[in-house]
Amino acid sequence: MIAKKQKLSSGLTVTSKVFVRSRNGGATKIVREHYLRNDIPCYSKLCHKCHTILKPDSKGELPRFILSESPTRLEKEGSIHYVVVDTNIILHCIDLLENVDCFYDVIIPQTVLEEVKNRSFPIYQRIRSLVKSDEKRFVVFHNEFSESTFIARAKNESSNDYNDRSIRQVAKWYAEHLQESNEDIKVLFITNDKDNLQKAKTEGIVDAYNLTDYIEELPNADVLRDLIPQTSNNESFSSSDANETSYPEYYSNSRVLGGLKNGTLYQGILNISSYNFLEGTVQVGAFKKPLLILGTKNLNRGFNGDAVIVELLPKDKWREPSTTIIEEEVIGADDNADDDGDEEIEFINDKERRLLAQEAIKETTAATSSTDGAHSRLQPTAKVVGVSRRSWRYYVGQIAPTSVSKDHDTGNSAKSCFVILMDKVLPKIRIRTRKAKELLGQRIVVAVDSWPSTSKYPQGHFVRCLGEIESAEAETEALLLEHDVEYRPFSKNVLDCLPKEGDSWVVPQDFETTTKRKDLRDKLVCSIDPPGCVDIDDALHAGILPNGNYEVGVHIADVTHFVKPNTALDSEGASRGTSVYLVDKRIDMLPMLLGTNLCSLKPYVERFAFSVIWELDEDANIVNVQYMKSVIKSREAFSYEKAQNRIDDPKQQDELTQSMRVLLKLSKKLKQKRLDAGALNLASPEVKVHMDSETSDPGEVEIKKLLETNSLVEEFMLFANISVARKIYDSYPQTAMLRRHAPPPATNFEVLNNMLAVRKPSMPTISLESSKSLADSLDRCNDPKDPYFNTLLRIMSTRCMMAAEYFPSGSYGYPEFRHYGLAVDIYTHFTSPIRRYCDVVAHRQLAGAIGYEMLDLSHRDKSKMELIVKNINKRHRNAQFAGRASIEYYVGQVMRNNESEQEGYVIKCFNNGIVVLVPKFGVEGLIKLELLGDVNSAEYDEDKFELKFKDFNNKERVIGVFDKVKVDVKSIKDEVTGKRKAQLILK
Amino acid sequence: MELYSPEGLRIDGRRWNELRKFECRINTHPNSSDGSSFIEQGNTKVICMVQGPMEPVLRSQSNPNQANIEISITIANFSTTERKKRLKNEKRLVELKATLERTFEQSVMCKLYPRTVIQVNIHVLAQDGGLLAGITNAITLGLIDAGIAMYDYVSSISAGLYDTTPLLDLNTLEENDMSTLTIGVIGKSEKLALLLLEDKMPLDRLESVLAIGIAGGHRIRDLMDEEVRRHGNLRLSKVNV
Repeated sequence: MIAKKQKLSSGLTVTSKVFVRSRNGGATKIVREHYLRNDIPCYSKLCHKCHTILKPDSKGELPRFILSESPTRLEKEGSIHYVVVDTNIILHCIDLLENVDCFYDVIIPQTVLEEVKNRSFPIYQRIRSLVKSDEKRFVVFHNEFSESTFIARAKNESSNDYNDRSIRQVAKWYAEHLQESNEDIKVLFITNDKDNLQKAKTEGIVDAYNLTDYIEELPNADVLRDLIPQTSNNESFSSSDANETSYPEYYSNSRVLGGLKNGTLYQGILNISSYNFLEGTVQVGAFKKPLLILGTKNLNRGFNGDAVIVELLPKDKWREPSTTIIEEEVIGADDNADDDGDEEIEFINDKERRLLAQEAIKETTAATSSTDGAHSRLQPTAKVVGVSRRSWRYYVGQIAPTSVSKDHDTGNSAKSCFVILMDKVLPKIRIRTRKAKELLGQRIVVAVDSWPSTSKYPQGHFVRCLGEIESAEAETEALLLEHDVEYRPFSKNVLDCLPKEGDSWVVPQDFETTTKRKDLRDKLVCSIDPPGCVDIDDALHAGILPNGNYEVGVHIADVTHFVKPNTALDSEGASRGTSVYLVDKRIDMLPMLLGTNLCSLKPYVERFAFSVIWELDEDANIVNVQYMKSVIKSREAFSYEKAQNRIDDPKQQDELTQSMRVLLKLSKKLKQKRLDAGALNLASPEVKVHMDSETSDPGEVEIKKLLETNSLVEEFMLFANISVARKIYDSYPQTAMLRRHAPPPATNFEVLNNMLAVRKPSMPTISLESSKSLADSLDRCNDPKDPYFNTLLRIMSTRCMMAAEYFPSGSYGYPEFRHYGLAVDIYTHFTSPIRRYCDVVAHRQLAGAIGYEMLDLSHRDKSKMELIVKNINKRHRNAQFAGRASIEYYVGQVMRNNESEQEGYVIKCFNNGIVVLVPKFGVEGLIKLELLGDVNSAEYDEDKFELKFKDFNNKERVIGVFDKVKVDVKSIKDEVTGKRKAQLILK
Repeated sequence: MELYSPEGLRIDGRRWNELRKFECRINTHPNSSDGSSFIEQGNTKVICMVQGPMEPVLRSQSNPNQANIEISITIANFSTTERKKRLKNEKRLVELKATLERTFEQSVMCKLYPRTVIQVNIHVLAQDGGLLAGITNAITLGLIDAGIAMYDYVSSISAGLYDTTPLLDLNTLEENDMSTLTIGVIGKSEKLALLLLEDKMPLDRLESVLAIGIAGGHRIRDLMDEEVRRHGNLRLSKVNV
């Protein structure tokens, strides 16, 4: 179909794109206009011609030229070069494109971009951000809209062939176009498609390469060779074992869609048990209990976190969740990375089968002895028949020492070896590398390329090396990567959004005339923070009004004055979502300059703030509340301890101290009100690691201590958050940024209540009717002999809770806004905009609500808010995990030096081990049966949560949940995963 | 689909402030009507036929002070990609009709033609966004061809807002995805005879959208004017002979 072209008076040429779409069996012809233009520049700084044809965008900006005038040289030929890439290169080798050692000055034809977008949206987004950051000098060339590169589709040409031809046309045009300006430049066309490569050569594009050949041309080929993904040259893999199918094939797309529609298949997120890598669960809306997926064959190549399609198994295969601990390292340790076919015909190896058999025996005995009990715990099982979305990302791990041959004869050829990931619920990954021996004992980053049904393990490739295992840097970077925390320094376009004055920025003196800010410099404001805090988000003041009421003000750093919507700075903050606090490091959400200086409410200097000022009566009821942007001058920055001392010191009678006493008095009333309403006081085994200030070695571990002033600040922050939440919900009922905490489902507490009833019959059960009754029942659960028991119970209850989440107000009804833990009907985060993005949004919405400035479109659009919220929820969770992992690592380091005997509590029992929590270090560890005593004598009583066994002295012992035990704590390095962890040994 | 790429190109290859192909003809049906026109705005195609000013069929329809403008719109079943039968009294159409009648009652010097009716028949042959704009332009040309006195051209164009960028003259794909503003500009002035916005648009962005809309309207007016003059010259040359 060759459409006619027509030249318009405006200089455009119009043609039409015609295609046929079939839907519901009928065919529709669709005609769309397609305009061709001659003002698309080549974006090369080398070019002399394209500067004359530019057209500005709606903001009057001209496009910038990105491709460098002195790009990298090829090693052999010595000429400078640009690169045009094909779709398959982007899809399979995106990591390589992002690598800082290669691929500079890359031209991506629009055709390629469209294809990438249709195939994988995440990769498309990564490419787009590469283009945007212009550090690697990527450009998108809209070849289909350019008169010089547009080609009409030939008769009977498949769309694939047509696209390939279009891409080749781009390479050809670029080569000719640049040749006129500079003789020395080469434009290389890189594709892994043999056919395309062949055609390019016959068409006269001399500089066409496949990826491997191109890498060889580069001066730093040695470093890069290993990074070439497996799929790009996987002929060797597929040919050797093409005849052997080990995993069941996934269902076809249409079958999956049909199945989902008629309700025979279900979709959900696969969640692999952290105690047993052969067992996964999928929570599906249709069932109350999660579906159980047992064994590698049923898991069928699913990764933890993948969105999978599952099919139910017949009822006779329904099972109880296992009570056995199975770790992969034990079972798969002997697999050889090189051989792939022979052994796996059977697929379940002997050890695995033995474990399954044990399970089966237990199953049958349980069924005969107590049929009803077994049935209540029976869970439907299912198998994975498709994966709709992979959760693949970068993984951190180390090469399994056993999979690398120790011989010295190995040359420079690539070897297969296994990488064991830090995350235990994931399988090992097979990679090919030439540097296996150098990489032994190093933390490395790998990416997964594919998991063909013929291969027992997924295939991936090496990305980069982080450093030696157990070195603090490598471990910190590893855990940041593992939790998907963006930790790279801020890019140039982000830093460009900061005020030009830098550190010398001061509050402009004419703010009263130029802005609507209130002057609050005369208020006695002070801040109270942990010692050594540099990013001071909040400050407070209080005073007594003539009518006897109190005036209390909370002042929050005015971050949104510097972070304007739709800037690079804003989008960076939005994507980071939160600052991440590790033991020895802080990963900022916003650049240092803002966080620790311009926004930070430092004492003795004037700062912009967003203030909430209440008039409170004697009982801390709100009489009046005002919100305003302001200028404040903090009088003093206290640490919690210093503030406490000053309040307690009767000799201090100055105004500032007086006002702090007012604050403290009111905060106690607020707290009491909150507790009366049923706010929960839960616990987590949080500890703090003290660092030696000189060597920055971890010194000792301490359980966090709370002072009255801690809760002073906390109360007023909660109070401000609640007030702001009401205000922004009032103004933006559909899109207000709020935070909710759903009540825990009763099933979560079932096991805990069961344990309580069996193990501590004297204790009342935990009531769930409301947060108030939960708080009360937790208060009643006191063991006079053991004060820690109550805390233990709180820790365990915390684990049964739902996680709080951010949401735009339009996505729930008002009754569901409730924050269960705080027992308030509406809540948001407003008080820490330096370190949380939610607060930034809340600030903007509040500024809009009080008419200070117009609210940006993106915070008024429900769908955009949904996106923001989804991201910050994820980031928030990851940041918490990363923080905990960091503490865990340092606690491990501390314990290395001080092995000791500690008290611990049993919190879980399995038929081959127990889990013990040691409050002193906040660690919990698994003690396997082999370390407890005689394996064969062990008997597990499921109903009583007890494990009976003979210890090494042949004495009979019974250990159950909640028992207090003495354990030896020491730190050992797990040789397989390279992770240091607490080893507990029962005394 | 990328409606507006970071490189500044729209889905069909235009830049933000570019019109689609605009073609128009007047006096296309000289025998069956007093005035007629045909316009193409991109792939939107509209025929307009004007009868009158004439005596109304019913006495009740006549207004002693001014002319009545009656507009009827027929949208062909094949005008969209999916074939669809449309009823004559579909709500949207009735509303569209009312909007148009109100617009033209102000732009036509109705006082000059008391006790008459001006019958305007619209046939939409193909739709690809900017339906109201296309119809308005077609009616303007049809009325001019019929020799009915008007204050000035009413040239109409649609504009939308993608994120923060205003886009001119939207096609269907764009129209489905963003809020659309249709305006009718009077002659070369900045006065509007028509403004229609069926969904939300932030107030602080409205000005920029209006600005490109007005600029686009002026360009449409020039293109229509060119056609009217071409046709006028043709007529004139015949008279002289």
